[in-house]
Amino acid sequence: MRPIDKIILGDNQFFGINHMSEEKAQQLAEKFYDINNIFKVYQNAFDAGIRAIMLNSNDRAKDICNHFRNNKSKYADISWYPSVPYPHKYANLVAEKGIFPAVNEILFKDNSTMGVLGMVAKGGMAVFTKDAMAMMKMLVDVEMKMFKELDIKVVFLQNIITDLILGYGVKEVFYEYCEHIRKKYNALPGLITQNLPYLKAKLEEWDIKEVVICSSFNKIGYLMSPDVESYVQTAKKNNPADYQLMVMSTMASGAIPAKDAYDFINQQNIQSVVFGASSERNIRETVSLIKI
Amino acid sequence: MEKIKIGIIGAGRMGITHYAIINSHPDVQVESIADPSGLVTTMMNKYLPVKTFKDYNTLFSEAKPDAILVCTPPALHYPIAKKAAELGIHAFVEKPFTTKYKEASELVALYTQKGLVNQVGYVNRFNDVFVKMKELLDNNIVGEIIRFKSEMFSCTITRSDVSSGWRATHENGGGAVFEMASHAIDLVHFLIGKPDKITGSSLNHIYSKNVEDAVSATFLYKTGKSGTIYINWSDTSYRKPTNKIEIFGTGGRLLADQHSIKIFLNKPNEQYQLRQGWNTLYITSIFKSVPFYVRGNEFTRQLYHFIDCVEGKAPQNLCTFIDGANALEVIENIFKDYEQNGRI
Repeated sequence: MRPIDKIILGDNQFFGINHMSEEKAQQLAEKFYDINNIFKVYQNAFDAGIRAIMLNSNDRAKDICNHFRNNKSKYADISWYPSVPYPHKYANLVAEKGIFPAVNEILFKDNSTMGVLGMVAKGGMAVFTKDAMAMMKMLVDVEMKMFKELDIKVVFLQNIITDLILGYGVKEVFYEYCEHIRKKYNALPGLITQNLPYLKAKLEEWDIKEVVICSSFNKIGYLMSPDVESYVQTAKKNNPADYQLMVMSTMASGAIPAKDAYDFINQQNIQSVVFGASSERNIRETVSLIKI
Repeated sequence: MEKIKIGIIGAGRMGITHYAIINSHPDVQVESIADPSGLVTTMMNKYLPVKTFKDYNTLFSEAKPDAILVCTPPALHYPIAKKAAELGIHAFVEKPFTTKYKEASELVALYTQKGLVNQVGYVNRFNDVFVKMKELLDNNIVGEIIRFKSEMFSCTITRSDVSSGWRATHENGGGAVFEMASHAIDLVHFLIGKPDKITGSSLNHIYSKNVEDAVSATFLYKTGKSGTIYINWSDTSYRKPTNKIEIFGTGGRLLADQHSIKIFLNKPNEQYQLRQGWNTLYITSIFKSVPFYVRGNEFTRQLYHFIDCVEGKAPQNLCTFIDGANALEVIENIFKDYEQNGRI
């Protein structure tokens, strides 16, 4: 398996996401309203030696991707770690319209092609059910459009989807997703989860390997089910040739001071850290503390 | 030990989420699911070890579940829960429980008489922050409560072209009051108690034609305390659904959302090691992990609690049909108050 970058800059800070404080989230949203402020942070990260970007496929990500695509020569050695889909877009659409009309809209909103419901009406239900996997791949492809021509290393499935399907225990979806990412994007499949020990056990049981798993990992067990000790043991027993482990929420949204956070992280058998920071000082400090 | 046989009725957004969560419970087997959509059931049939049915009556007669999760549009909750009680089946029913207080009260009596486990999906009662807040209030942290404000915001309905399906009418349980304010009302009941009178209710249409998108009302109590609720599900400044609650008492003030509790105290509190003045308890110091996470700890906790109750492991249910009926009584009073006094 192609090794992933050890340090990756995440994107939560750019999109008004902060798990600890709404006020802080709002301040960040205001700060990054001007997209040039986002590009400045990326530049700071590159100056600190970071060469990898994780980015969720939300509406603003389009503009970020455009910028990097239009300046490709300047950013030749940057690797991309997109995550799909943007969950809230789906949640709201599904709440508004129901699941299938929502899928229909997402797939065919911008296309003149007949919608899924049209297909269903015409060809009967078989079209849909026979091709549930094809539909899943189409949804991934719609989200991945914005990352076209960028150097993609891993494509992650967001945790809400990963963990939902994990709850159902449907091997086919994981298998087909991973194959699709490998073949279509020539990239490693990635799964974001809040249930690392359980997901890894299931993937092993299903013999789905060479996957990047991304999960929260911090000493207080925040956003880690079932608990810290299970995560530590899972990582310890892991062979990185089968699964590369990427960790996030290492400081638990700021509840753990940076030094304490990475003293703990540096002892774990993990391959990569993704972190979000918006000041040059915090980026440099974090990079200097990560010794995995 | 034999596994508890679960039937899920309604495979919309909540049915699908609950399935994944409860399926992770080691004592449970999701055996059956009913939904009128052929698309959903055919798909589930293909990939999951579950029997699918087009209607709940067939599910009851053929699958014989021990317990059900009712996740249909709200107007169907009453006939489904009633039938389940007659068959001796325990029931978890999504909020807003039913669309009429009268039907809700009938179900309360029926389940009490039959001694069946009954729970309503007011998930905030299982949220780490609000559970902590309840504990603080029970320990008199801000003294006697005088005023409160319970608010909820989201960007769920942001276009006018979508008034279709059950969400378009009150009769079917649609609108911001049934769907969203019910949470804010229940949160008030959970933390402060049920009001004795509703006044000053107003409903606003923003995008929806037949139902409201925003609602506010004032709650009055015989003891003299009072508070307001304000809910708006067409507010695009919120990236995701947000609950906010503020409580003012003789000893200070509490402000909470899903992330934290801010506490201002007139005097230090030794029991909780809180200072005079401002203190903040962040979610990161309050949370308790769950065995399996899909959509927030509270969603797992509420369903695992339901199973605990079915297995007789919990002393009492933490969100019963009575709580569901109480919220509906307040909802009906808000509609009544608005009809009588809300128009100029």
